[in-house]
Amino acid sequence: MRVYVNDRPLELLPGMRVEHALLKAGLLAAIQGGQKVYDEWGHEVGLDGALTVDLKLYVR
Amino acid sequence: MKRGVLLPLILSLVFLSPAPGQARQESLRFLHVNDFHGFAEPHRPAGASEPLGGIAYLAGIAERLRPEKPTLLLAAGDMLQGHNWANLTRGKGVVELMNAMKFDAMVVGNHEFDFGQEVLKKRLAEARFPVLGANVVGLPALRPYVVKTVGGLRVAVIGVVTPDTPVTTHPHNVAGLKFLPPEDTVRRFLKELREEADLFVVLSHQGLPADRLLAEKVPGIDVIVGGHSHTKIDTPVVVGNTIIVQAWEHAKALGVLDLIVQDGKVVWFNGYLKEIKPAFWTADRQVSKIVARYVREADARLRQVVGETLVDLDGDHVRQRETNLGDLVADVLKEAAGADLALINGGSIRAGISRGKVRLKELYDALPFDNYVVALRLTGQEVRQALEHGVSGLEENAGRFPQVSGLTFTYSRSAEAGDRVREVTIRGRPLDPQGHYLVATNDFLAAGGDGYSILAEALENPGESAGPEARLQGPRLAYSDPSRWLRDLVADYFKAHKKVAPPAGGRIKEVD
Repeated sequence: MRVYVNDRPLELLPGMRVEHALLKAGLLAAIQGGQKVYDEWGHEVGLDGALTVDLKLYVR
Repeated sequence: MKRGVLLPLILSLVFLSPAPGQARQESLRFLHVNDFHGFAEPHRPAGASEPLGGIAYLAGIAERLRPEKPTLLLAAGDMLQGHNWANLTRGKGVVELMNAMKFDAMVVGNHEFDFGQEVLKKRLAEARFPVLGANVVGLPALRPYVVKTVGGLRVAVIGVVTPDTPVTTHPHNVAGLKFLPPEDTVRRFLKELREEADLFVVLSHQGLPADRLLAEKVPGIDVIVGGHSHTKIDTPVVVGNTIIVQAWEHAKALGVLDLIVQDGKVVWFNGYLKEIKPAFWTADRQVSKIVARYVREADARLRQVVGETLVDLDGDHVRQRETNLGDLVADVLKEAAGADLALINGGSIRAGISRGKVRLKELYDALPFDNYVVALRLTGQEVRQALEHGVSGLEENAGRFPQVSGLTFTYSRSAEAGDRVREVTIRGRPLDPQGHYLVATNDFLAAGGDGYSILAEALENPGESAGPEARLQGPRLAYSDPSRWLRDLVADYFKAHKKVAPPAGGRIKEVD
């Protein structure tokens, strides 16, 4: 399934979570450093959150 | 923050009593939790500066807020599975504390199926609150909806779960079940319940994006209490005339939504999250006792002997060479996925196990990560590239060092990184670069963890385009079971074999 992290498209497997998307985007360490993940509407989402097709996530 | 569906009416309707002949206003409150995943005790999430959560603290706040006005306490799914605290009793402790907290309703989440249908049926039988699943066909213990009378209002709560559930758990966990499209299901029950309720709530475990679409497409839903996307909705989302709320994850917040309803319409609302910070709140004593009792229960289960090893299982050198524990774990993956071969990162193994009886705790210490099994179809060339990556960090004892099953390979330490792998054989035959192989691994590597970008990139590259001379049959993904952690599969291996004595060596050899 395709999702976007900081506008970068990534292909992930069904059942994978926000954490997997950040791992693939190379941004997981940013969370340890205090950054957070937001959806396209600006809501914070947890690392265990489910991914859905075309979900847009932003790390900042 | 306050936002109204019918903002112009807000002030006048909130504070004025109805005049004779006017319709009566009813005030009610929803308290809501989602995606608890068994995080019973306070914990410090990644990047957090202080501990958050703790279900006893959340219960304490709920108990304080509940008497203030007519209230429903709702759970939007994925409550029973996740943290070891819950998993070791297969969700039993969660149901017990939810009973104690007097939940009014819960919708089944996709992870509620992870322990299998028989366990789920037991949990449903223990629950003293209705568990909903209107779009699940084949599990009669799930109710489609419940109508609760709260403060003079009849509130219909319809439960729906993501139709993706069958691809997020092992197929046998959902065998015989159908998951209907939530949109059709909600539309149907709104129609059926039109005369039986004054207010319509969808308790949804399908994630915020899907909840927004549901609100757009299906008129007549007053409130969606959501879960699945673990979204921290600080201020309710409004789509059309539907209010959408969700309360983050892991008991880190309690959602509060206050409404005033007149003539079956929401004329005012105020929604917010109460973040659960143990330092500032008082724990509910009854729930605290339940949590503590199941901590002891979990500890007792971790002390259970699952088998015996006749040799020391080496978890100390998994970043430097093949070890017998690495072999065993890789064998378990290969067998679970029915794969040709398996490859994991040595860094996924964090401790060895001494010869003798093996308790569950030793396995959990050796395999502390919540990894699950994935199998991908790869070309021989891609397998070779993955092995090259695995031995590219020898100098720093990197966690990427591979532990394998179903293949043997040699490598030269003195060669340049990226050109170290020499002979690779599978079932006694040389690896065919153009051949294709079913490769079991863990979800961490499949997402590119430890730098295994070759596995992550394989997903970007559908089977048909894997190479003109190496057309893969079918999709890249052949197997995925997020419902079981790898350590539990290894525990099952010990239980099945009783005694193990995996030999060391023979799969990975260093040559000059």
